[in-house]
Amino acid sequence: MQFLNSLLNSMPGAVAQGLIWGIMAIGVYITFRILDIADLSVDGSFCTGGAVCVILTINGVPMAAALVAALVAGFLAGFITGVLHTKMGIPAILAGILTQLALYSVNLRIMGFGTSAGSRSNLPVSVDKYSLWVSARYVRDLSTKNPLPVILLFVFAVIVLTYVFFGTEIGASLRATGANAQMARAQGINTDSTKVMGLMLSNGLVALSGALYSQYQGFSDINMGRGAIVIGLAAIIIGETLFLKYFRHNLGLIMFSCAIGAVVYYVVIQIILKLGLSTDDLKLLTATVVAVFLAIPNLKLRRRTWKKGGKLHA
Amino acid sequence: MKKLVALAMALTMCLSMTALAENPYRVGICQLVQHVALDAATQGFKDAIVAELGEDAVKFSEQNASGDSANCATIVNGFVSDDVDLIMANATAPLQAAAQATDKIPVLGTSVTDYATALGIENWTGTVGTNVSGTSDLAPLDQQAAALHEIFPDAKTVGLLYCSAEPNSVYQCDVIEGYLVGYGYTVNRYAFNDTNDVNFVTQQAADNSDVIYIPTDNTAAANTEAIANVVLPSKTPVFAGEEGICSGCGVATLSISYYDLGYATGEMAVKVLKGEANVAEMPVSFAANVTKKFNRANAEQLGVAIPEGYVAIGE
Repeated sequence: MQFLNSLLNSMPGAVAQGLIWGIMAIGVYITFRILDIADLSVDGSFCTGGAVCVILTINGVPMAAALVAALVAGFLAGFITGVLHTKMGIPAILAGILTQLALYSVNLRIMGFGTSAGSRSNLPVSVDKYSLWVSARYVRDLSTKNPLPVILLFVFAVIVLTYVFFGTEIGASLRATGANAQMARAQGINTDSTKVMGLMLSNGLVALSGALYSQYQGFSDINMGRGAIVIGLAAIIIGETLFLKYFRHNLGLIMFSCAIGAVVYYVVIQIILKLGLSTDDLKLLTATVVAVFLAIPNLKLRRRTWKKGGKLHA
Repeated sequence: MKKLVALAMALTMCLSMTALAENPYRVGICQLVQHVALDAATQGFKDAIVAELGEDAVKFSEQNASGDSANCATIVNGFVSDDVDLIMANATAPLQAAAQATDKIPVLGTSVTDYATALGIENWTGTVGTNVSGTSDLAPLDQQAAALHEIFPDAKTVGLLYCSAEPNSVYQCDVIEGYLVGYGYTVNRYAFNDTNDVNFVTQQAADNSDVIYIPTDNTAAANTEAIANVVLPSKTPVFAGEEGICSGCGVATLSISYYDLGYATGEMAVKVLKGEANVAEMPVSFAANVTKKFNRANAEQLGVAIPEGYVAIGE
């Protein structure tokens, strides 16, 4: 009973974390599934969002403005990846890695703004000193300070706004680009600009998620985005595995399933940590789960075609 | 689905039965990354508590963020939801995550250099004053500067070699730079971002300095071999902030023991657990004793004369 109790007790935290990472997963979904690009710049832009938000907050900028700035910083990061990819002809995966690498230095400089050394790797932002919108401190409290409603509001706002965007002419042309770039070009769509736009939107959401997460955990850190892409992919894949059957025809619901996927991911992590798995093995486990779930649809397909072939030639 | 539920229930029942011992103290340990110094601190912490309270009186839950600072919040969330009696935060990011997650459960940090920087405290008095306290791994930088001057009185330029991603290293370099300038040295900084540019940055430092100083830097500690391969051929001696770095690529060091530091943290924890001390009133404490050590092979190879009072590492 004790175990169950403490597990229940840890759920608000796991759900809050999951929902924040869910915003990031929605961002990854835009590039990975809609645009069909594996964009690795998110590992850097997650931290960029956190760094921008924290440095502005501790310099007295209102939280709303700090979050908008984080979003814009993410747009910029995505813009750079997009330009490297489309205008310079660098393969998407490499363009993402280049941006991610460059952002490491940029993030150090952002956090070091105003210090004598000009660079910092870690910036604390305590809920005792600043009025943060979300903080891990109150995640179990039944009060107005509880971060869960705010986070939920952000998740829904992100889903509704992106859903509306993808319904507009520009949004539709972005989806067309991912579905069939050649056909999209034949329809007169400038696929270069739609790709750049998709990358900007994606990295903007990732940076927003980073901004919320740094408030939640109470600091931004140069290593906080490390491996973020894998968590994003895991969230997407878990969401698809659980809900794709029901949600196939609605983009808004699919994005919602990404957020739920991230929550499931963190709930599962919390449970296996409680069961006593060594955190040393956590990364191997995450990578295996993602690889297996990515492989399943493929393997199923092969089996089916193999069976059909067998019947034909029998 | 039914099978899954049944399995989950069976599992929880087994676990809840084994988990019921006679109310031992429950202590959560969150360590930032697998690393020799941090591992030693955790070990010292546990040894101190077990030595004072006994094996059965305390139950440790030890978890490692594997270098991914975003993991700390997940780990600490587990501790807070368990309502553990004390959280030990080994390094800066775990300390910040723990301080953010709870203002009730006592949090003791270790391997953190400067609590004021880590927690964003102005007007530092030596005590955090909330549910947070702990031990600092700050080596006595004034003594280090003095020791460096004692061994290399004729040097002109000192290069500070460190990793820009480590707040502790930056802080130590900021402080020791003042002392070194006071001795009349010209001080230059050489910072690498990560493992990949250690070689190149070290080469630059070795070319432009008479002596190199390396603080207690985790990245440097992990790359002593790469650093040695640059500084030894170029005949540039290294004064290190801790023993691990010194034994790899240094000539001499004035070092603290992370095991002792962890042990001191454990002793603080015992006082808090027994209710003998209030964590809000406990000042952040420092390593009790420092040891002067030197690396015989490197000193002989570079022709550096080591003064009296230094112990050779590994002898």
